[in-house]
Amino acid sequence: MSCNLLHRQPILRRPDGSGGALPALTLITLFFVVPVVALLLRSVTEPVPGLHNYATLFGDGTYARVFFNTFLVATVVTTVTVIVAFPVAWMLAIMPPALGSIVFGIIILSMWTNLLTRTYAWMVLLQRTGVINRTLMDIGLISQPLPLINNLTGVTIGMVYIMLPFMILPLVGTLRAIDPMTLRAAALCGASPFEAFRRILLPLSLPGIAAGGLMVFVMSLGYFVTPTLLGGTSNMMLAAMIAQMIQSLLNWGLGSAAAFILLVVTMALYALQLRLVGAKRMTGGI
Amino acid sequence: MKLILTGILAGLLAATAAHADEMVFTSWGGTTQEAQTKSWAAPFEASSGIKVLQDGPTDYGKLKAMVEGGSVAWDVVDVEMDFAIKAAKDGLLEPIDFNVVPKADLDPRFTTEHAVGSFYYSFVLAWNKGAVSGEPAGWADMFDLTKFPGKRTFYKWSAPGVIEIALLADGVPADKLYPLDLDRAFKKLDTIKSEIVWWDSGAQSQQLIASGEAAFGQLWNGRVFALEQDGADVGASWNQNMTAADVLVIPKGSKNKASAMKFLATATSPKSQAMFAEASGYAPINTAAKAEMPADVVKSLPDAYVDGQINLDMNYWAENRDKIAERWYAWQAK
Repeated sequence: MSCNLLHRQPILRRPDGSGGALPALTLITLFFVVPVVALLLRSVTEPVPGLHNYATLFGDGTYARVFFNTFLVATVVTTVTVIVAFPVAWMLAIMPPALGSIVFGIIILSMWTNLLTRTYAWMVLLQRTGVINRTLMDIGLISQPLPLINNLTGVTIGMVYIMLPFMILPLVGTLRAIDPMTLRAAALCGASPFEAFRRILLPLSLPGIAAGGLMVFVMSLGYFVTPTLLGGTSNMMLAAMIAQMIQSLLNWGLGSAAAFILLVVTMALYALQLRLVGAKRMTGGI
Repeated sequence: MKLILTGILAGLLAATAAHADEMVFTSWGGTTQEAQTKSWAAPFEASSGIKVLQDGPTDYGKLKAMVEGGSVAWDVVDVEMDFAIKAAKDGLLEPIDFNVVPKADLDPRFTTEHAVGSFYYSFVLAWNKGAVSGEPAGWADMFDLTKFPGKRTFYKWSAPGVIEIALLADGVPADKLYPLDLDRAFKKLDTIKSEIVWWDSGAQSQQLIASGEAAFGQLWNGRVFALEQDGADVGASWNQNMTAADVLVIPKGSKNKASAMKFLATATSPKSQAMFAEASGYAPINTAAKAEMPADVVKSLPDAYVDGQINLDMNYWAENRDKIAERWYAWQAK
């Protein structure tokens, strides 16, 4: 594999050096680097110069709670997504290819459907007078509607649903690379199915879980639409708080500081992901 | 650097900016903006030949970004009055040219140097008849969980209304509301907090009540009016109804200032105001408008319920907007 890469590199190299990257670099500088620097500057200059915006964010109980909520939601969503995605990914990995591509198509199709539409659909299903509660009450399972919306439950259901493809896709790749014979070998050696899963399948699929999990976690941290529509005000997340500071309170200094913190956390996690994926490539090369 | 960011931001926002014979009107969407389009923009287009583009919903952050970035895409904006007073102080608004906009018949309560009234409304107590047994008589009943169980819905954003409702329900006399006792209000709201569903747009408030998702709530009277027109099974109590106003403003740096002033003249004219009131159920801010309206419409407006009516204090709110908002959102997030 690494041999192959060495051979191909000279062919890929452009004769004009880095000139071809100029438009892309300009675009990124203009629409990413400049705004981020401006954001940082705003956070330390408004309304007066200094670090008071950051002091407020770290010193105030309300904001601490919002940070905590954000990480809580991201953690819960990531965990549930992994648990739900794993069997699906495993099924996809061992399915006959023809059937597999149909299931794959269905998963991809859900990603192409508008996010807002999908979230509103959950609203209709989950609310007190919604389909789920009505059905459960009609068949007599419950007498009072279950609180499925405007709380952490609603946010988790809605976000897991949206995040699933981002977890399933990398996981299928990892699982397909595992030789099914290793599982048969484990069974022949007397391992129960659960033991084979715990000691063979799970450790071997960890790189996929880590890659997908980090992606879901990072995406969840900055999520706005779903938590706003399916959550209550008491589990407000960072993105909603930033929107409130910018739109409603018109406190752009504080909003910029919060946005910058979110950016730093996200970048740190991304760096971690790069290292993990790098590690995976190394173990894959052995 | 700050200028560059606001410049880029405003540039993007202004991508849809209007041409010389066009102007942009921005409001809150839904049934209200439909009525404004029909009653104000349509006759204005016919008489002036200036095309009115509709945009929305109103977003104070965007408005500020446009003015600071020097690229203003909105020419006339419908805003809440307490915001208008604050925004004028912050230099975000053009002064109104009262040589173009006739002032004589405008209700002085809703006219300032930088704003003319758009319409005025009342917060009323509305309920879904299928979801509530009995009839809530007033705001205090919204805090009585044993007599009236179920979810109740209130306006989500920090704005005049909910704090006053909590204080009235706690026994504060209507003439002693201001200055607002925030500690007392939040303590009262704590007693029903777990049963509150917040609405953040008029359309959502209608949906919550019509579906019975919330049994009752604090709604804009025009939204209740629209529900009744649609035949929804809703009841409403005007007891201690609370008036507040929307006003029309021109953001500083509007490219079509002259057209915008003319638009304001049409929008606040007795005839346009009467048409809008009939379509929306909100009250006109032009005192001569009533003469143009059918008697049964006049009877359904907030003006007909002045007994026990409370005027929310816009000047107090403009003065304390930021301080209250900070506490409001902190309390909500708890």
